[in-house]
Amino acid sequence: MPATKPTTRKLTELLDSKFMARLDSLDVLSRKILQGKLQGERRSKRRGQSVEFADHRPYVVGDDLRFVDWNIYGRLEQLFLKLFLEEQDLTVHLLVDTSASMGMGEPAKATFAKRLTAALGYVSLVNNNRLSISLFADGLRTQLTHMRGRNYLPQMAEMLLTTDCDGFSDFEKACRDAATSRIGSGITIVVSDFLFKQGYEAALRRLIGARYDLYVIQVLSPQEIEPELGGDLKLRDIEDGDAAEITVSSALLKYYKRNLAAYCSELNDFCTRRGAVYVRTNSADSVESLVLNYLRRVRLLR
Amino acid sequence: MQWLSPLFGLYAAAVAIPLLLVLYFLKLKRHEMLVSSTLLWKRAVQDLQVNAPFQKLRRNLLLLLQLLALIAMLLALAGPMIALDKGPGQRYVILIDRSASMNATDVAPHRLTEAKKQARVFVESLRSGAVVSLRDRADHAMVIAFDRHAKVMCNFTSDRRQLAAAIEAIEAGDGASHLGEAVTVARAFAQPSGGEAGASSAEARAKLVLFSDGRIRDVETIVLAQDELVFHRIGQVRDNIAITAMKARRSYERPEQVEVFASLANYGTESVTRDVQLGIDGDVRAVRSVTIPGRQADSDGATPVPGKVAVNFSLAHSGEGVLEVRQLTADALTCDDAAWGVLEPPERLSVLLVTEGNPVLESALRACPIERLDPCTPAGFDALDPALFAMQSAYDVIVLDNHAPARLPRCRYLTFGVVPSGIDVNSPRALENQVIVDWRSRHPVLQHANLTNLFAAQSRMLELPRDADVLAEFNESPALALLHRRGSTFLLAGFDVLQSNWPFEPSFVLFCYNALNFLATQTGGGEQHELSVAEPIALDDISAETVTVTCPDASEVEVQADSGRGARFPATYRVGVYRVKIPDEAPRFYAVNLLDAAESDIAPRSELKLSNMTVAAAAQGMERANVPLWPVLVLAALVLACVEWVAYNLKARI
Repeated sequence: MPATKPTTRKLTELLDSKFMARLDSLDVLSRKILQGKLQGERRSKRRGQSVEFADHRPYVVGDDLRFVDWNIYGRLEQLFLKLFLEEQDLTVHLLVDTSASMGMGEPAKATFAKRLTAALGYVSLVNNNRLSISLFADGLRTQLTHMRGRNYLPQMAEMLLTTDCDGFSDFEKACRDAATSRIGSGITIVVSDFLFKQGYEAALRRLIGARYDLYVIQVLSPQEIEPELGGDLKLRDIEDGDAAEITVSSALLKYYKRNLAAYCSELNDFCTRRGAVYVRTNSADSVESLVLNYLRRVRLLR
Repeated sequence: MQWLSPLFGLYAAAVAIPLLLVLYFLKLKRHEMLVSSTLLWKRAVQDLQVNAPFQKLRRNLLLLLQLLALIAMLLALAGPMIALDKGPGQRYVILIDRSASMNATDVAPHRLTEAKKQARVFVESLRSGAVVSLRDRADHAMVIAFDRHAKVMCNFTSDRRQLAAAIEAIEAGDGASHLGEAVTVARAFAQPSGGEAGASSAEARAKLVLFSDGRIRDVETIVLAQDELVFHRIGQVRDNIAITAMKARRSYERPEQVEVFASLANYGTESVTRDVQLGIDGDVRAVRSVTIPGRQADSDGATPVPGKVAVNFSLAHSGEGVLEVRQLTADALTCDDAAWGVLEPPERLSVLLVTEGNPVLESALRACPIERLDPCTPAGFDALDPALFAMQSAYDVIVLDNHAPARLPRCRYLTFGVVPSGIDVNSPRALENQVIVDWRSRHPVLQHANLTNLFAAQSRMLELPRDADVLAEFNESPALALLHRRGSTFLLAGFDVLQSNWPFEPSFVLFCYNALNFLATQTGGGEQHELSVAEPIALDDISAETVTVTCPDASEVEVQADSGRGARFPATYRVGVYRVKIPDEAPRFYAVNLLDAAESDIAPRSELKLSNMTVAAAAQGMERANVPLWPVLVLAALVLACVEWVAYNLKARI
């Protein structure tokens, strides 16, 4: 398929229509009520002119008399102001790892990550949220920012489908760039395998801020979770070419799994301590059940 | 090119190469595999290494095992030996008896093999020199095989392989055993070379190690120092039936009649009955059963003598042939179960009578069974060319009647009266009126002849050389003498027959008859056809350059004639019939017989009675005196290498 005709790549390659129909009923939910830039469909912390009542408060001198609740004054002969929640739009920032390591695994982690991204992006776009998608490896590679509405769906699909997984991963640089380009407030979702040799802590710290919810979705392949190896092997790292000589034994596998569990729980602890949500996924699992069940349970989606 | 220690190198290679292979296998080849990240794997491997028990010890264990393997190899190369026998390097002379009695089969397969086996064990127990050593403490040994003569198989050496090969090369023989020559040879070789003989004479004295059944003929004449000889007795049984004598001769009157005499001896204690067979040219002519009494104590009771019985056969055979007398029951020693004789065709003599005219002598000679008698005058005889005469060998006996020719062709002579010159016999003066005082009535020449009344009116004084045989003596001088000179045989009578009363005596005709008969036995081509073991076959006057000798074991040997047209074949080590083929001639046969009562007595002796002492046989058989350790070490090195491999694998897997 020639690259000059990218428009032929459809979102349906990532998400089937039945799934999309079920996604239509979902919306992205922020645990923090965040201030959006536009008066959108989102409740904001900022009280303002809105239809949705929030609270009453006693009148003080200088308040706008338009918001005095006269009905209460009629009953209680005291002045109360009506407070309304202002509905604002939500920025959803998806940060997707496309380094070479994501291409590994059977099924490939990248496929899973892209389908997940597409699903989340779809949910965001159909609910008129502001969507930014950043693909990174050793720094940000491509970015689509400020998408809003269904019109952006093909553009998003094309970007996801035409990006291959290669190159080193420099998570910190990617996060630095993403954090600086981020405007407004909303949700940041990082999709990666989080197997970064230089660590993830400093990078994630950059993404955690008062105005953003952080969701960390770790994608691991079944081969990484349950390695089925045997014999004397020389394992070569696909990104930096580093080699590890192992002779597979039950003891070694035991230590590997123990290490993997420890690594994931470390990441989980790191996230939990900073108010972020950690989700671990297996690339062999179905994106549908993840999105329709699990992400609703962690209240990313509604 | 020479290799000082080729086996050393082989051992080293045999150890090093498998070890190298093992080390090669230790370096594992790993399959390469791509993973998304080695992060967790490296951590797992680290954890594994950190948490594996005895981590440090195991790393050292490999080193330790390698070191042990290396040390074992190095020790093996150094060739350590547990010397069960202490002391400095010894010198041994291994004497191996290969006489006829060592062919006895009482020790399977036979005694010589057993002796060689024991000698090999002895050689293996010698200490070999260390590969790296300041002092040569190796044992040296030489190998001598002996029967009638000693044969040096290998000079002093510490190379055990060479010694073993020398022992292996000893072949059985059928000779008698004589230790004296072997001891002399051993002492000559054992003499330390150079001037340092006095320095360590005790050390230098070689020890004699004898492997024999103890049936040694000359053992009583040997003088040895105390503890110089170690005697290892080979053999068990003593029962043996042997043919100890055999003779075949033709009757003189009836030449086609052959008389065969044989004597059988029984060395066992029980009386036995055996079949004795006579064959001629392979055809059985007679079988006779004889009972041979057992060995019995001698009259003085000291040494038991074997039971003996004589057998004689009589058969008619006019041609030549090879006689064989064989006792048919197999026993421990086979080489004395048969004896052979070569039968010559009957021969009639041609006699030349050189006389001025002696009718008495001529008629007496004509009465004898001879082919022809040619009278000849002395002048006619002198006119003959002696060389041509000898070449033609037309006459077997020449009778010189009172004639001393200037030149004597090679022949057999019967002379009367004047003594021929040039044969070391002087006749300084004439004697008169001599009577016989003594004669050797048992000599073949004077068999049945009574010389009591012999009287010579005229005679010659005979001054004989020492080797002459005096057959009859007058009162002042020898009357009849037998002398061998210049290849000829002379039967001398120092008187003229016509000057004595001998023609009237019956003894004269008997004498002529016996004399011709006797001189005829000196003929037969001048060759001996019945030999004892190791006695050479001598051929004279052969016309060919090479002759072919076929031995009893059917092997053929080419013998070159020497410049004197003679040929000798000395290798008659086994009994049997040797066939000599001279081109363009009928084959000649030679019978080699043991016919040795002492050698047939195969009872092994438990002690050797030397001239100065008695040496008892060694109490037990040969045992190893030292144990080489290198095979154990090499094995240990190999095992260590394997253990190391296993340890390495365990380390990699845990």
